[in-house]
Amino acid sequence: MSGTLALAKTEISRLRRNKRYLIFTVALPVMFYLIFGKQKATGYDVSFAAFYMVGMAAFGAFSGAFNNNTIRISQERKDGWIRQLRLTPLPASAYVVAKVLASMVTTVPSIVIVFLLGHFYGDVHMPIWKWIVCAIAIWIGTLIFAALAVALGYKLDPDSVQPVTIVVFFFFSIFGGLWFPLSGALQKFGEFTPTYQVVKITTDVIGHGTAAVGNVIGIAVWFVIFVALATFAVRSTAETV
Amino acid sequence: MNHYGTANGAARSDEYGGATGYATEPRPSASYGAGYGSAPVVKFENVTKHYGSLKAVDGLNLDLRPGETVALLGPNGAGKSTSLDMLLALRKPTSGKIEMFGSDPYHAVKSGRVGAMLQSGGLMPEVTVRELVTLVTTLHPKPEPIDLTLKRAGIDKFADQRVDRLSGGQTQRVRFALAICGKSELIVLDEPTTAMDVETRRLFWDSMKAEVAEGRTLLFATHYLEEADQAADRILVINRGRLLADGSPAEIKAKAGAKRITFHLDQVDEQFLLGLPGLVNLEVRRDFVQIQTSDSDATLYGVLDAGLRPHDIEVTGLGLEQAFLAITAEDDAAADGSAQAGEKI
Repeated sequence: MSGTLALAKTEISRLRRNKRYLIFTVALPVMFYLIFGKQKATGYDVSFAAFYMVGMAAFGAFSGAFNNNTIRISQERKDGWIRQLRLTPLPASAYVVAKVLASMVTTVPSIVIVFLLGHFYGDVHMPIWKWIVCAIAIWIGTLIFAALAVALGYKLDPDSVQPVTIVVFFFFSIFGGLWFPLSGALQKFGEFTPTYQVVKITTDVIGHGTAAVGNVIGIAVWFVIFVALATFAVRSTAETV
Repeated sequence: MNHYGTANGAARSDEYGGATGYATEPRPSASYGAGYGSAPVVKFENVTKHYGSLKAVDGLNLDLRPGETVALLGPNGAGKSTSLDMLLALRKPTSGKIEMFGSDPYHAVKSGRVGAMLQSGGLMPEVTVRELVTLVTTLHPKPEPIDLTLKRAGIDKFADQRVDRLSGGQTQRVRFALAICGKSELIVLDEPTTAMDVETRRLFWDSMKAEVAEGRTLLFATHYLEEADQAADRILVINRGRLLADGSPAEIKAKAGAKRITFHLDQVDEQFLLGLPGLVNLEVRRDFVQIQTSDSDATLYGVLDAGLRPHDIEVTGLGLEQAFLAITAEDDAAADGSAQAGEKI
């Protein structure tokens, strides 16, 4: 395990140096929040400032765990870095575990920064436990997207992974209602996305302190599906990495 | 045709980035092979690997003994990389058995007893050379001091540069550093000097010899014959996934017919010529005869004793390169073009 942690540590220091990564996970959500956060509206029965806070925190965290990982994993598979790692005493799973761990650690700041902004700039006030529950819900959502990133990164070449990543990410951002609250037919459709479920759980918690069981189950189901996909992708490419 | 050239690695001569070269001072610890007796370090038993209908490796048998420096020599597509991949547990054999240090390859790799450098092995981008070497060293159960590894691989001069900003030859040396950063008993190198210029290549082998002098076993794949001849004390010639020859460089040359005799002869009797002592290969073009032989004296006396009077006789010695070409050409002819060896596997 110490080897896997050493690898994760190196992955984290790589991410910290990566400007693109910082722009997508921190700068963009912060900028959007500063521009759109203070609207006199509501989203899912909470103030828009509160809705948009969890939306943007999720946006930053998910893009960090997803967009970044699909492209890197695919490229590093092509470059042979995964092969090189397999020649070390590290267990075979270490590469994937370290990637996911690094994502989980590096998305914490983006969640925290947007939450601080929501509190001090957007005037979102709530008990401390609600802040924590919201952060954890988004954080777990991050894990789901890290798993999906592993599946796509292992399955697709660097050339095709980029457009697919963008399409998948925009799909889940828009139909999950990260940028604006869904209503009507769009909501009926979007309800099934993990992004919607995360936002709904957090806004429910902010609004009335509980979350719908259906959404929690939904998250668990997505998690199982994406982890299964990732496992399948890693196994099926074992001879070609 | 002749792509087995000896020095066609085109790399810039400033690759070396300094005058120091590979450091060759001895390491503090020694004796890697100790305690394992003379049991084979590596054992292939009738190993095959098929990709669909292509037999990349076709019934390979071999043994590596501790302390040996062995060259795996063959043209592109001969099955060298596939064999090494299987040895390093990156691919599974279709059939047959591979053992390393008496256990299966996966566990041997995970116990840190093998250091390897692959052609297809990549490096983690966005970190410095030192960070990368430090990371991989940390993973090793018996790490070498990092500064020593950097020096040995000749990469200490650019240790603080980013990995993704290195030239081809520099990258190759970083890969080498990753193969020697632990106290491994076996070192496996797949075409290690690709992208190195002649001078860098020489320095590389000097450094490698220092590693081997400590009792390590070295297995390297190459299609540079000169390299196999100079660096290895044993050469395994493989073609079409099969072992064609196994011996010292001198034995390989002898096996292929170390001399070539050419002459002109009126009324050639091929059946008679094929029966000549020492003959390994015969080529006849009208009145021109070319014989490859392991004993040029005996062959020539045989011709003369039969009362033949050839003219324009020439006897030339063959280098390892021609020997290698002769061995693989013979094999290719025997294969009858039925199963074409594919491109690089």
